[in-house]
Amino acid sequence: MPRWRVLVVFLLPAVLLYSVFIVYPLLSAFHYSFFEWRGIRQAGFAGLGNYRDLFTVYPYDRQLWRAFAHNALFFAGTMLIQNTVGLLFALLLFRYGRGRRFLQAAFTTPYLVDPLVVGYLWSLLLNPTFGPVNALLEAAGLDSWALPWLGDTRTALPVIIVVNAWQWVGFPMLLFSAALAGIPAEYHEAARVDGASAWQAFRRVTLPLLTPAIGVVSVLTFIGNFNAFGLVYAMAGSTGSPAGSTDVLGLLFYRVAFVEGGVEAIGRSSALAVLMFVFVFGVSLLAGSYFRRRERTLV
Amino acid sequence: MRYRRLPALAAAGPGTWKARRRTRPPGLRRWIAGAAGALALTLAACAPGGGAAGPGDADDGGKVTLSLWSWRVEDVKAYEKILAAFERSHPRIDVEFKAFQATEYNNILATGLSGSDGPDVAQLRAYGGLQPLVEAGQLVPLDGKVEALSGFDPKLLEGAKGHKDGKIYGVPFAYQTLQVLYNKKLFADHGIRPPATWDEMIAAAGKLKAAGITPFAVAAGPDATWTLPIVHEIFGNARYGGAKFRDAVLSGGKKFTDPDFTASIKLIKDLEPYFPKNVVAVKIPDVQALFATGKAAMYPTGSFDLAPVLQANPSLEVGAFPVPPPPGSPVTTPVTPGWADGSFGVNAKSRHQAEALELVEWMATPEFGRLYATELKQLSAVPGVTPPDPLLAEMAANYAAHGAPYMLLVDFRYGQPNGDAIFRDEVQKMLAGQTDPAAVAESLQKGVEQWFTAGN
Repeated sequence: MPRWRVLVVFLLPAVLLYSVFIVYPLLSAFHYSFFEWRGIRQAGFAGLGNYRDLFTVYPYDRQLWRAFAHNALFFAGTMLIQNTVGLLFALLLFRYGRGRRFLQAAFTTPYLVDPLVVGYLWSLLLNPTFGPVNALLEAAGLDSWALPWLGDTRTALPVIIVVNAWQWVGFPMLLFSAALAGIPAEYHEAARVDGASAWQAFRRVTLPLLTPAIGVVSVLTFIGNFNAFGLVYAMAGSTGSPAGSTDVLGLLFYRVAFVEGGVEAIGRSSALAVLMFVFVFGVSLLAGSYFRRRERTLV
Repeated sequence: MRYRRLPALAAAGPGTWKARRRTRPPGLRRWIAGAAGALALTLAACAPGGGAAGPGDADDGGKVTLSLWSWRVEDVKAYEKILAAFERSHPRIDVEFKAFQATEYNNILATGLSGSDGPDVAQLRAYGGLQPLVEAGQLVPLDGKVEALSGFDPKLLEGAKGHKDGKIYGVPFAYQTLQVLYNKKLFADHGIRPPATWDEMIAAAGKLKAAGITPFAVAAGPDATWTLPIVHEIFGNARYGGAKFRDAVLSGGKKFTDPDFTASIKLIKDLEPYFPKNVVAVKIPDVQALFATGKAAMYPTGSFDLAPVLQANPSLEVGAFPVPPPPGSPVTTPVTPGWADGSFGVNAKSRHQAEALELVEWMATPEFGRLYATELKQLSAVPGVTPPDPLLAEMAANYAAHGAPYMLLVDFRYGQPNGDAIFRDEVQKMLAGQTDPAAVAESLQKGVEQWFTAGN
């Protein structure tokens, strides 16, 4: 058998599964988004009509940008809180080895729980009427801190970002731990011999060598945050409560596709799905090539 | 980078591949063929219209099995009991009741109806929720086929009609009414009677609040925004002018920006002091618990909540009253808003249409209505059926006397964005202090104008 045929035979099962479960749905969403829909019946070619609707029909014209901005904030907040704290944990665990296994396991336990469940548990904890968080704050005399955390437009999104970070902080920690372990000890010794302070050694030696890990963490965080749904849905409902202050693209998609249930639903929601995919895919590609270029300057 | 890797792979190639080919287990090709076959089978099972012959196919001895789909997972036992009565009087027909998760039902049904193994008879959503199925041609019009429908309340039949063709696609099974439930014991303890005027109601609310009791169990949290238009209907229907205002909006004489409608929205803001603290963070289970445990005295909600409330606390003594008209209302009687809950219709692709029609015809009879009302403790849509529960009977009587449509649900769910959805978001915003009643009304008008044209 010629080599290419062997290749085909080996690749075929994976390609088949991949095409059926990933490529086909993606292509069909793409296809659907260019048609007018009446329920589940296609009513004719719509061109870019569904896409135009998303940007022009009230209230989607506003909700789309608002949701996009919230996703961007979600990403920025997660980079700032989750990934910084993850790096800090990784450094501490790397330096003080005691209990490392246990702590690594402990920090990654929330992984095991679905975001929907995490969101539900935290919204119980933060419940203003019966929740223990505010009861504790009040018991400690911090009455003015006992806010309706998820009911205030100023605190709801930050609270969700923090809960999300609480769940996933173990992920950057593990990746950074692995990357730290891969940095040859001689580099640090050399830095110390040259008289570098701890901060200088971190800033000039460790951090640049973590670039590949930072790249991977950033891109995966970006993908995760721009596709956020479960946690936000559990904590803020399908409308991004309160008053849309936590609305993200995933929720907007869910509402257009399933909640409002108009006869146009399939076309518009497919258009939104395609936009989200193109954006996330495009930015991930760009970010990937950026970080690869940075890596190359290191060597 | 990618370019650099490929030649490396090629360089390592020939020998390795040859080696692999020699050691390949002989069964591999068969295994791959098997895997491909299994995959094909899985796909066939997923595809609509594939295999899976339903029991309806087997006509042994002329007996036909109809499948009936519903979103009421909670009611399977009750429906089986109800349908047993049908099977007794129609010995030739068996009915298989199948319930799906309510949140998934619309998609499951739309897919089922498009294939060949869908239901013969299906429970259908009302008004806007019905249209995707009608427009896709998936249902049998029942005009002239189910005669009893001519005796049904036209208000309720609207929920089962195609919006464009005006044909009836289902036999309505139930309707819901909106009013205030109250805790009789709390009222008696504080010397309060069901209010006859708006001012009496506000005075009662003030008295309860002073006694440390939440007057109105209202939630506006993440899971509760859909209840806000209901709260608005209960307190504001008379204020905006009820059915007359609705007709004016539909014919183009008035808009949602009308001062009466704006005033009806403002009522919610005015009542906020009598809602639980931080109402925007309060969820539905919270208010249900408040009401069931006697920490809240009044619960503005639908007839559908009576059974769950009593389930949470069977010893609770519950009464109900329609809200007296607020000052300045164009309508001077207490109004009970309501709407059709849904209907039962026939799949256009059913292989047993005659029998399916027999079933929906039976669902329009008082026999079905009485069984439905008794077993499920809901308001039957069949004319002349009174619910055995005295409180439900009272709600039904109020609706019969001064009923009005829940306009945003009944008329403004036919397009995207749906009026109800915009309104609930905006009212929540108002309760969060981010907008005012006039702006809420403007957003609503602007939203529905995206697809709604008056006089249509």
